[in-house]
Amino acid sequence: MKLALWSYQAPAHVGVSKAAASFGKLHCVVRAPKGDGYTTIMLAMFERLGVLPPLSFCAMSEATLAGAAADLPAMLREIDARESPEMIVVTRSATALVLQEPLDGEVAMMRPGDVKAEIFMASTHPVRDNELSAFARTTREIVEHYAADTPRTERPSVNIIGPSLLGFHDRANVESLRKSFDALGIEINAVLPLGATPDDLRTIGRAWVNVPTAHELAKPTLDYLRERFGTPYVNELPYGEAGTTRFLRELCALCEIPAERIAVAARDAKLLWYSRTVDAHALSSKRVGVFGLPTAAAGIARVLRDELDMEVEFVGTYALDYGDWLRERVRDITENVIVTDDYREVARAIDRTRPDIVFGSQMERHSASGFGVPCAVVSPPSHILNYPLGYAPFIGYDGANHIGDLVNQTQVLGLEHHLIETFGPRGQGRFAEAAPEPAAERGDARVPVAAGDVATDDVRWDAAAERLLGRVPFFVRKKARANVEKYARERNIAVVDEAVMLRAREHVGG
Amino acid sequence: MEANAGVIERDDFCSLAPIGWLHHKMQDSFFLVVGTGSCQGFLQTALGVMIFAKPRFATAVLDEDDLGGADPLDGLRPIVAAIVAEHAPRAIFLASTCTPEILKMNVAGCAPPLEAEFGVRVYPCRLDGFDAAYTQGEDHVLQSMIARSPETDAKNLVILGCLSALEEAEIRIECAAMGLPEPAFLPGESALDVPPLGPNTVLASAHPYLFAAAAYAQRERGCPLHKSIFPYGPDGTRAFYETLAAAFGKTVSYAEREREAWAALASQTAPLRDKTIVFCSDAMLELPLARTLRAAGARVPVVGTPNIYKKFHAAEIATLGDVEILERPDRFVLFDRLAALAPDLVVANLNIANPLEGMGFAVKWSTELTFQPIHGFSGASTLFGMFAATLRRHEALAARRARDGAPGAPIDLGFFHLAGSSR
Repeated sequence: MKLALWSYQAPAHVGVSKAAASFGKLHCVVRAPKGDGYTTIMLAMFERLGVLPPLSFCAMSEATLAGAAADLPAMLREIDARESPEMIVVTRSATALVLQEPLDGEVAMMRPGDVKAEIFMASTHPVRDNELSAFARTTREIVEHYAADTPRTERPSVNIIGPSLLGFHDRANVESLRKSFDALGIEINAVLPLGATPDDLRTIGRAWVNVPTAHELAKPTLDYLRERFGTPYVNELPYGEAGTTRFLRELCALCEIPAERIAVAARDAKLLWYSRTVDAHALSSKRVGVFGLPTAAAGIARVLRDELDMEVEFVGTYALDYGDWLRERVRDITENVIVTDDYREVARAIDRTRPDIVFGSQMERHSASGFGVPCAVVSPPSHILNYPLGYAPFIGYDGANHIGDLVNQTQVLGLEHHLIETFGPRGQGRFAEAAPEPAAERGDARVPVAAGDVATDDVRWDAAAERLLGRVPFFVRKKARANVEKYARERNIAVVDEAVMLRAREHVGG
Repeated sequence: MEANAGVIERDDFCSLAPIGWLHHKMQDSFFLVVGTGSCQGFLQTALGVMIFAKPRFATAVLDEDDLGGADPLDGLRPIVAAIVAEHAPRAIFLASTCTPEILKMNVAGCAPPLEAEFGVRVYPCRLDGFDAAYTQGEDHVLQSMIARSPETDAKNLVILGCLSALEEAEIRIECAAMGLPEPAFLPGESALDVPPLGPNTVLASAHPYLFAAAAYAQRERGCPLHKSIFPYGPDGTRAFYETLAAAFGKTVSYAEREREAWAALASQTAPLRDKTIVFCSDAMLELPLARTLRAAGARVPVVGTPNIYKKFHAAEIATLGDVEILERPDRFVLFDRLAALAPDLVVANLNIANPLEGMGFAVKWSTELTFQPIHGFSGASTLFGMFAATLRRHEALAARRARDGAPGAPIDLGFFHLAGSSR
């Protein structure tokens, strides 16, 4: 047993789910207790899906413990009839693994033609694999299943490998790359797993070059496609303006097209100019720490050092298998590479080095705030804030601009902090006294809430009622106090006790 | 009532979820879950661990040794030592989950030796994700506390169920007004607060999902099963208080109080009148909420609910007349009812709330009902207000979208299948 308070990675079945459900015309079924089914909630809530996600949980119950067989065939028939997927990918959670049900056998015993969809058993191990390895392996398996010999496209083309549902700003990342590829006249053959259908996968070998958005997610697929079709992949990471230029230059060479058109793709890129402007001069004295998925950590660390001239205190990743990969990528940036899946170790590194800005996951944002250090979130684990309605890519030229904005926003805050530290909170107080507070912000019970309503001190609170009011969540407490006093005033009640307070709640809410 | 055969897809959560509110209520507690990385993932996803510096819950994640039959006590000892050193809890809830149940791992058996070794009370409980509704995690936690209750012959009053300070205050005040003994609440502020129970105790459950705890108290302490509808809405609250008084041999009428309460709620209940509302299965609050919404004038033709206990829910079911009750319904069986009924409002959990909204239904997300203080006369305004506000918002936005010719189309999978490829 191992004590776990918090984890960077989800279990393997979540990795399989994210990969399989992201492909077009595929459906994923997880054999697990219903309690494992929260991945569907994340899909519905984070991606704000207005349709049922292509992910189902075949629930184990008490009856299963008593020996009842999985009703997997019934679920497969239901999905087949409702969704008509071309393939249903089946996997199981660690809990289901323990039961050692013969799921393959159940599927094998279904009558031929019982379901039109192909049934595919994922090979990942529910305990030995983790979210990343399960995602990467499942993506490769499905690609391998469909890939067929096919001639290369006439014009240069690429597959983008890595983006998925519940990925990190993935739809925007794809859009950002697409804009550059359009400018260069490079076609996108497929994006996978996000949206690639079996038909797309049958012709996956047409692409001239493969483009990974995250090596840790794409590597097995990249290797397979290179072995099978000899397709090369781009090694440079498309982070930052200079990084994206290097990335596109490598891509152009592989596509045998002139690199001059990169300037067209780069016409909206502003990060390197921003870095030359006086606003950014102070960045040279700023120290940063970077932690996250290996590709993001390597890419972001290089942008911060090479393009903004910031000093990188440490770089790290929680993908333990990618420690050496990351060390190699940042060899010229820092020797201080942290490879750990314990968030407390990262927090200690932040505490020890006290960087000016941390670039990390939502957990680093939390840890850094404990030390008063600002944090820009550049990697999963994500938060609903990482699923913005607007366009916020992290890779390509548009991604470079966005990274510049993040640095800038974080720094402005830093400067304000600096001013406050220098001049003390008194400076703030003076401004606050001088400027009239907006009426809507006040919301104090002593302030008239409506025309004709007279502010008085005629309503008192007894100690028990004050205590009870203290138990009302702080963000509605002012409103609750105002409501109760209004209720009391209308009824000429001079002292609010617990009973009056509850009666008021009954009549006016709050 | 429809049998639960042929269930293909369910839409409810894991019974680990109540740790979210129970660890807040009992500030000296720690919840140690023995399970898989998936249990841990659920806790951090559902309970937003990142907002806590030092969460008072954690998972002892089973590794391959444990799956191979290692003694759980050996694995738990250093973990409990670390928790005691870091948090100094006064009680630890040691939760067995799906995987230990499958392995027949004796997690509960580890509680006494751990308690003896570390001098901290250890309550063994079972919080699994098989058939229990997510709220029933609270049921099993309370059952484990009742097992440690002192025995008594006194005629005392115990209110069962995790309540907010506001809700407890109303019950305290009303009991005093009726001349009943001061009620004890289980759970209280401390995980060590377990009121005495015995054959003369009036043990009344405030929630409809606490059957196991009530049945256990009946079996082990002789507490009679308290038969009432639950204190939601003016009708339920009136019955709840009157039944409490009767249990102490008093006749009290809350008829006038109920009438007053309905009058005060007029602005929240008016928009619900003659509206059709359907409950999907979620927290086991569905039966009492359907009952009080009907009393407020809404039509509730179908109610899905995860589990029904015939005796415990008898009073609620008796109020529901010809309402079709679907126990542990299949997702698509419910969807077929929704398609046929075209209700004005669907009450559904986060699994299906957005997809249902995308299908064109007005949806009230049901999980919120578990977290809001909706009990009693004083909570009724919050209760009905949530339904009325959802309906109002939905109607207002739909009307404006129609006026402006801007449909606000839902995000579908095609939204992600883009990338300017040839498609």
